[in-house]
Amino acid sequence: MKLVRDVLDKKLTDREKCEMGRVDGLLMRVGERSQPRITHIVIGGSTLWMRVHPALARLSVRLARIWGPRRTEPITIPWSRVESVGKDIRLDVKARDTGALDWELWIARHVIERIPGGGSEEEEE
Amino acid sequence: MKKILQLTLGIVTSVGGFLEIGSVATAAQAGALFGYKLLWAILLGTICLIFLVEMSGRLAAVSKHTIVEATRERFGFPFFSAVMLGMVLVAFLVLVAELGGIGLSLQILTGLGFRWWAVPVSLAVWLLMWKGTFSLIENGASLLGLVTVSFVVAAVKMHPEWGSVAHGLIPTVPGDQKAKYGFVAVSILGASISPYLMYFYSSGAIEDKWDTSYIPMNRIIAGFGMTFGGFLSMAVLIAAALAFQPRGISVEKFEQAALLMTPALTHWGFYLFALAMLFACLGAALEISLSIAYFFAQGLGWSWSEDLTPSRDSRFSFVYTAIILVAAVPLILGVDPMKVTMLSMALTAATLPLAIVPFLILMNDPSYLGGHRNGWISNSVVAIVILISFVLAVISIPLQIIGG
Repeated sequence: MKLVRDVLDKKLTDREKCEMGRVDGLLMRVGERSQPRITHIVIGGSTLWMRVHPALARLSVRLARIWGPRRTEPITIPWSRVESVGKDIRLDVKARDTGALDWELWIARHVIERIPGGGSEEEEE
Repeated sequence: MKKILQLTLGIVTSVGGFLEIGSVATAAQAGALFGYKLLWAILLGTICLIFLVEMSGRLAAVSKHTIVEATRERFGFPFFSAVMLGMVLVAFLVLVAELGGIGLSLQILTGLGFRWWAVPVSLAVWLLMWKGTFSLIENGASLLGLVTVSFVVAAVKMHPEWGSVAHGLIPTVPGDQKAKYGFVAVSILGASISPYLMYFYSSGAIEDKWDTSYIPMNRIIAGFGMTFGGFLSMAVLIAAALAFQPRGISVEKFEQAALLMTPALTHWGFYLFALAMLFACLGAALEISLSIAYFFAQGLGWSWSEDLTPSRDSRFSFVYTAIILVAAVPLILGVDPMKVTMLSMALTAATLPLAIVPFLILMNDPSYLGGHRNGWISNSVVAIVILISFVLAVISIPLQIIGG
């Protein structure tokens, strides 16, 4: 498997096929004697923007502090949870429990559900 | 049977979805200023669009990826973010132009100024997306857009000299007003080759769950639909050439363009123009707002579908809601939609390489398309037209700014 070609930027889905973002970064452990190993998949604003420019990453952290679900740390998911790597990457997790849907739920609760006809995201669970 | 129905619907959709304020304004201006001389630009743009739309459908049918998804995965986020920035900015300007086009049409039909229409129009467009399903938007708006076929009726009734029309299909360089000629040619190319149409089409193919069995149908839809659409644009140019050029009227304002069909259809033509533009711009405004929301959602891996209730894909719904509200602001402030139109069409042409070059690379990547990847004909046609558009844009936009 080639990490950049087959893993990075691919779409992530949970065990119920719920879309939970893309692989925005990868955490690697480099030991002195052992081979480098991927330990975690990273999802989240600052990691993503860091790939473009560190200043954008700082900006995204600052914005996340004042608006939204107030999560400034990126979400990390252990590599052991990877179920399959195909067109998408399937994870053996429940998307809601990982924090990957924090923004989705926050916007649903604070904006969309307050507009008539927006529906309720919890009702339909 | 189901496929035949889809086929007809697909063709109708592309005919109805082709014309919008950009193609009408640029074609009308071209006809008024240069007679039939710029018909070649519509021909070139349409041929290129046929190939691009066919490719967009093929990519989705074979790889199950939309263009946006494949771009992010193949090229990574840093490059993707540059494409996204460019495409979203240009699409936003086009959205302002389309909303303005609806407002200007309503101004003709009701007498109330377009600025007053900015808020009701944005709300109406938003409500259609909020409540509607993908097929309602795709088919409904486009069926209404078929009123634009009246342009063909008007053009034929004005009895153009078909010999000179045919001459216009071959590019020529005019004696004077070279800069203006180049700028209008670029705007026509930008109006015909709209990247948002490709994003919308490939997202539609995924929403409709296309597989490789749809490849022949996709080819027919792209070919026939875009050809008819191109004919409609040409009809606008021909009618404008006959109605305006002999009298030396240039089309700077929407009300002037609305006189396009009056020689053939008298005062009915004036209102018919407004009605046709109302529906055409409405369809385009819906497609563009959705395309922008698709861009964010697909690029960042959010759930997206126009068929879900808004709270099920809240970030997707939030993007189109926000974008449509923001797009109303320049119109409330009284920015001239016709000026935005010409500017956004030229900018579309200038930014085409940003959208099309990575797309061509994808279309040649066996890991996405396997045996269905592009042949040399489609590669060269698209590459040549995009190169021409880009060179013309780089030369004529600065000249237009200095001259204008």
